[in-house]
Amino acid sequence: MTASILLCDDEVHIVRAAEIKFRRAGYDVRCAHDGQQAWELIEQQRPDLLITDCQMPRMNGLQLVERARSHEATLHLPIIMLTAKGFELVPAEIIAKWNVEDVLPKPFSPRELLRRAEEILARRSAPDTQLTGDETNCVGTVLAPHAHADQE
Amino acid sequence: MPKLGRAGARMPPVRPQILDVAPALVNALMNHIRTCTTLAALAGGSALVALVVCLLGGFTAAAGESWTYLLIAAGTMGATACAGAALWQVLRHERAAMHYFDRLSRIDPHDLTTGTASAELPTLEKTNPWRATAERLQRSLADACRRAEEAEHTRTSLEVRARRCMVEHEQIKAVLEGLAEPVIAIDDFDEVVLANSCAESLLGFDLDQAPERALDKLVRCEELLELLTDTRRRKGPLHRRGELKFEGAPGVENWYSVEVQTIPSSRTSTDSGESTHGAVAVLREISGHKDAQKRIAEFVSAVSHEMKTPLTGIRAYVELLADGDAEDEETREEFLQVINSQASRLQRLIDNLLNLARIEAGVVQVSKEPQSLNELMEESLGVVQPAAEAKQIVLQSDLSPMYLGVLADQDMLLQAAINLLSNAIKYTPEGGRVTLRSRMNGPEVTFEVEDTGVGLSPEDCQKIFEKFYRVRKDEKMSQGTGLGLPLARHIVEDVHSGSLTVESEPGVGSTFRVVLPGAAQLTAASSSSSSSSDLAIRRSS
Repeated sequence: MTASILLCDDEVHIVRAAEIKFRRAGYDVRCAHDGQQAWELIEQQRPDLLITDCQMPRMNGLQLVERARSHEATLHLPIIMLTAKGFELVPAEIIAKWNVEDVLPKPFSPRELLRRAEEILARRSAPDTQLTGDETNCVGTVLAPHAHADQE
Repeated sequence: MPKLGRAGARMPPVRPQILDVAPALVNALMNHIRTCTTLAALAGGSALVALVVCLLGGFTAAAGESWTYLLIAAGTMGATACAGAALWQVLRHERAAMHYFDRLSRIDPHDLTTGTASAELPTLEKTNPWRATAERLQRSLADACRRAEEAEHTRTSLEVRARRCMVEHEQIKAVLEGLAEPVIAIDDFDEVVLANSCAESLLGFDLDQAPERALDKLVRCEELLELLTDTRRRKGPLHRRGELKFEGAPGVENWYSVEVQTIPSSRTSTDSGESTHGAVAVLREISGHKDAQKRIAEFVSAVSHEMKTPLTGIRAYVELLADGDAEDEETREEFLQVINSQASRLQRLIDNLLNLARIEAGVVQVSKEPQSLNELMEESLGVVQPAAEAKQIVLQSDLSPMYLGVLADQDMLLQAAINLLSNAIKYTPEGGRVTLRSRMNGPEVTFEVEDTGVGLSPEDCQKIFEKFYRVRKDEKMSQGTGLGLPLARHIVEDVHSGSLTVESEPGVGSTFRVVLPGAAQLTAASSSSSSSSDLAIRRSS
């Protein structure tokens, strides 16, 4: 079954470049241009991997991750964050605090982004690391706030 | 600091203690003379009795008979006379000696000098048996006087040095109190021996009122404690530096640099580098420097962030082309266009940065000529028209029918107008409206850019002209450099002596208003200069 990827960045041409790369690699790709739009797409259908920028209008990347981690259905959703920030956002801290899979600094290589995404998806699809919950489930019906034990 | 004696308090004079024995000597002599007088009286009485006996014997002998008794009587009389003469001589010497010692006892020791000791005393005869004693006493007295004078001199020197030390101490204290930098010094026992009021205020103690002066009891800053005590323990001269952070008001951090060095115990030991006597720390506030460093870091971070975004596009699309991800010629053309537009964006950012840096550095080459403001406005509208159309924003022109002359650098003022219009288009939602208006306002000319955008809060209005500042809720609403408004303000205010202000209401829209001196006004003001000239502009702020 084709894995679904949700790309989220307010820079249209960056989303477009990643979209082309993932589509050519055979993935099902959806695109959003801010955190709010991305969350609406997640509510419609939970993706297998979320790739999001940090700085975005309406709802930024960290707010999007925070919301994802506070709901049962997206508690373990693998996330790759893209960031153009320098020392303000330390990748190790983001990974530790928000339980994201990876942080990729800009400017990034689409080739490298694809490689890391495939690694994460392969790891997640391994039998001993199966996610809890139905990954194909429409999450809109189960989005109840969840106290994430790992946070803080 | 060890307390010195009260300034001006004099020590008791040093005087020869030998004078204290003179009255005792006089008394002894008086007793001796009384004894001698008693003995003389007894001797005289005996002689008188002997004389009477002799006379009676002589008359008896003369009456009868023998010269023997006469001779005995005569001899006894002669011996008595001799004894009386000797006794008289002794009494005379004793009186002379008594007079000598009496004079000696009356000498005021405070006025006694080596010269006065011998001048004020009578001379005893050579035959006087007390002469040797008197001479020894006089020599001892002269010696004592000399020593006393030396001691007095030493004491005076010490008093002068003590007073000088007191004055120097007060001067140093005054200098330290005048310093804006906190200064604190400790001795070999880690006790605070000196701290100016700045240090007391910063570290929170009062040295004069403190029950004990131990450093660790007075100072709570662990880093400063460690620096001072550790430096003090080292042998030989040592100079160390550090940075300390003190919590001021809630949320306020005050940074200080601290320089700690050992205090040399003496010049000689400093030269040999062997021993020291405590340590002194001088602190200097560097909060401003830290803030500047932070601002620079934020600026560099913001610039790098702004550069990374177009760079990401360029790198991504170059890689897509290299990997053959462009399926057809049209897609390939699209990729190249993206690369080109992102390269242009990067160039705009760099140009804006350079322009801003030139203006902020204080010197920029400006070529001012009389311009028609309306023509500049129309040109700027033409530049931003495609961007407005892309967002279905209505771009309205409300220009004055009058000729509005300004003495301006065409390119720079055009840049400012484009920046204001672009900013309005960026922050106006699709379907909104942006109006460019120009008016004559007395001797000044005005142009306004009014939009129906997201608007600004009062805080945003304060900060909107800062570099890279963006309204928080609309961060990255569109592709901008974050330098457009700061650059426009510099162009208007620093280069053209105008003003750029903003009025806004959140959710309703914003109006950016530029007021410039009219060309006639400027020409009159600078009639001596040519209409086209290179001006060096120095920023007033």
